Amino acid sequence: MDNIFSYIFSVEFVNAVIRMSTPLLFVAMAAVIGAKADVLCIAFEGVMLCSALGGVLASGYSNSLLVGMLAGLAAGLLITGVFAYFVLVLHTEQMLVGLALNLFSSGITVTLLYAFTRSKTSSVGLPSLAFPNVTIPVVDGIPVLGEIISGQNILTYASILCVFLVHIMLYKTPFGLRVRSVGEAPHAAEAVGINVVRIKFSALMISGVLASFGGMFMSMGYLTAFTRDMISGRGFIGIAAQSLGQCRPILTMIWTYIFGAATAVGNAAQGFGMPSQLAIMLPYVITIVGLMLAGIRKKNV
Amino acid sequence: MKKRFKQISVAQRFSILRTAVALGIALLLALVLIVAISEQPLEDIVVFLFGPIMETSYLESMLTRMVPLCFTGIAVCIMCAGGQLNLGAEGAFFAGAVGCTCVAILPGIPPVLHPILCMLAGGLVGAFFCGICGVLSEKFNVMTVVSSLMMNYVALNLGLYILLSYLLDTSAGFRASYKFADSAKFSKMMPGSSIHSGFIIVIVAILLCHVLLNKSTYGYAIHMVGQNSRFARYSGINVTGVVIGTQLLGGFLAGLGSSVELLGMYSRFTYNGLTGHGWDGVMIAVMAKNNPKNVPLAVLFLSYLRTSADVLNKTSAIPNDVIKIVQAVVIIFIAAQSLFSRWEYRSTLKNAGVLQDTDAAVGKADT
Repeated sequence: MDNIFSYIFSVEFVNAVIRMSTPLLFVAMAAVIGAKADVLCIAFEGVMLCSALGGVLASGYSNSLLVGMLAGLAAGLLITGVFAYFVLVLHTEQMLVGLALNLFSSGITVTLLYAFTRSKTSSVGLPSLAFPNVTIPVVDGIPVLGEIISGQNILTYASILCVFLVHIMLYKTPFGLRVRSVGEAPHAAEAVGINVVRIKFSALMISGVLASFGGMFMSMGYLTAFTRDMISGRGFIGIAAQSLGQCRPILTMIWTYIFGAATAVGNAAQGFGMPSQLAIMLPYVITIVGLMLAGIRKKNV
Repeated sequence: MKKRFKQISVAQRFSILRTAVALGIALLLALVLIVAISEQPLEDIVVFLFGPIMETSYLESMLTRMVPLCFTGIAVCIMCAGGQLNLGAEGAFFAGAVGCTCVAILPGIPPVLHPILCMLAGGLVGAFFCGICGVLSEKFNVMTVVSSLMMNYVALNLGLYILLSYLLDTSAGFRASYKFADSAKFSKMMPGSSIHSGFIIVIVAILLCHVLLNKSTYGYAIHMVGQNSRFARYSGINVTGVVIGTQLLGGFLAGLGSSVELLGMYSRFTYNGLTGHGWDGVMIAVMAKNNPKNVPLAVLFLSYLRTSADVLNKTSAIPNDVIKIVQAVVIIFIAAQSLFSRWEYRSTLKNAGVLQDTDAAVGKADT
């Protein structure tokens, strides 16, 4: 037990938390934008899965990180686009579309993985590229802080930058104002001449970009290959973080780090002899408890 | 024929049309994918289309496969009819199987009583997991979709933990529980076939659910809550009770389903992960429009599809995940309410005999 506590206060643990939180942060920000536009997209799970595979396949075959990134984005945006079209234009129940697209993504990624690599489980044989880690020159030299702040994956920095960009976009730009008005009072927005469907569509596409980066981080940063169903509920945890953070970007970010820490503790506990099933369960239990707490607070207001 | 066609309403006719289009597109997509990735496309397509009826053993496995799917199908129907899209049937199915195993391995319980106790245990464990989602939604305002998904992971890992710590038979040579007591297992209905007495239980369950949802006062309350919970509350219906009740019942049915499946088909608990029955239940409920009466037909379709995927797995190298794609496309197109909406609108007007004067108006509104 002593070991695990000394581990929790170590630099490696903090780095692990940051690594675990990065994909959650991306998808939570995507969920924030969606929620502000009053669309609940549970298809982020599928978006992440498709972009993770798209990035790996394209970078593996083209040997170019840029091509990989663009392909990952394209794959993610394709799923987001289908979701948006069915929900906004064909008025389909958003839960069902999301559910179906997650199922679709799970099936199509394995099928394509097999078609390209002849493996049904992972793309380990394919020499795909990963996003690089970045060393910040001066900060790197500071003893403890340097090890945490410097040397992270480039997407980790991007995800933190995203939080502020999303905040600025939602609260300081005309587009953000439109997104919020469309979400809060669509009829009023329509009455003053805003094209509700178009604004919601754009908002969803922006969140699709964010979720795609979250997916690509999984297969081109966190791991360096695609494995089947590798997102395993992270899209939903992101949505949970958003609903706990009451749609505020900064508060949502804090919750993603709490979930990231829960995952990291779970992984660590596994290494220290705790039954692995209970350790894997931890982040999901914490999500449920967190949602309950948020619900209590909502009722009191 | 034409007379009969007029009796069903325009809405029904378009609902059938949407289902047909969904199935058509899904099958077409599956065929294209098979042709694209297969090394022996022609054989694979034949197997995909006619696999289950090529051999009697395949046909039999298709029939036995229908039993658990019917259970999860009606489970999701009831939960969705109550207005909550609970995806926890998956976890409830797995947890129910663990609960059933705990009782089934006990020796010395008389034959008829034993399976009943097993099914009860499985059902109650399932009800517990889905019931939590109902309570969370009503008392703590937590979205059922999210909480039930998290619950699935909890049920899976907790179940595996219990299996590995308490039920594991290390002499089995693979990851499995102790053998079920003979008194717990279902008898086969025909000697030499795998068709077991669980068939009777599933038929009774479907009939009971049909009566409950469509013919009883409580069923009316469920529909009312599902369609408009505020209105139901103003009419004096105990909405909280109905929501939690439907989730409990749904979970019970899912757990019962896995118990029947285990006692009928297996001699040990051998699941290593979530089985997918709960997800199939969602698709079945969507196809059956949340009506237990339509469940057997939807299950037949899905079971056919799954069996051909299995046969395909034996005869070909392509991954049977192709079926997931078919499933997703079917759900999405059946659920797309506005597909053909203008055509449907015009047909409704035509039926009412007011097309002439409104046709121009519709055209004007569009431009």
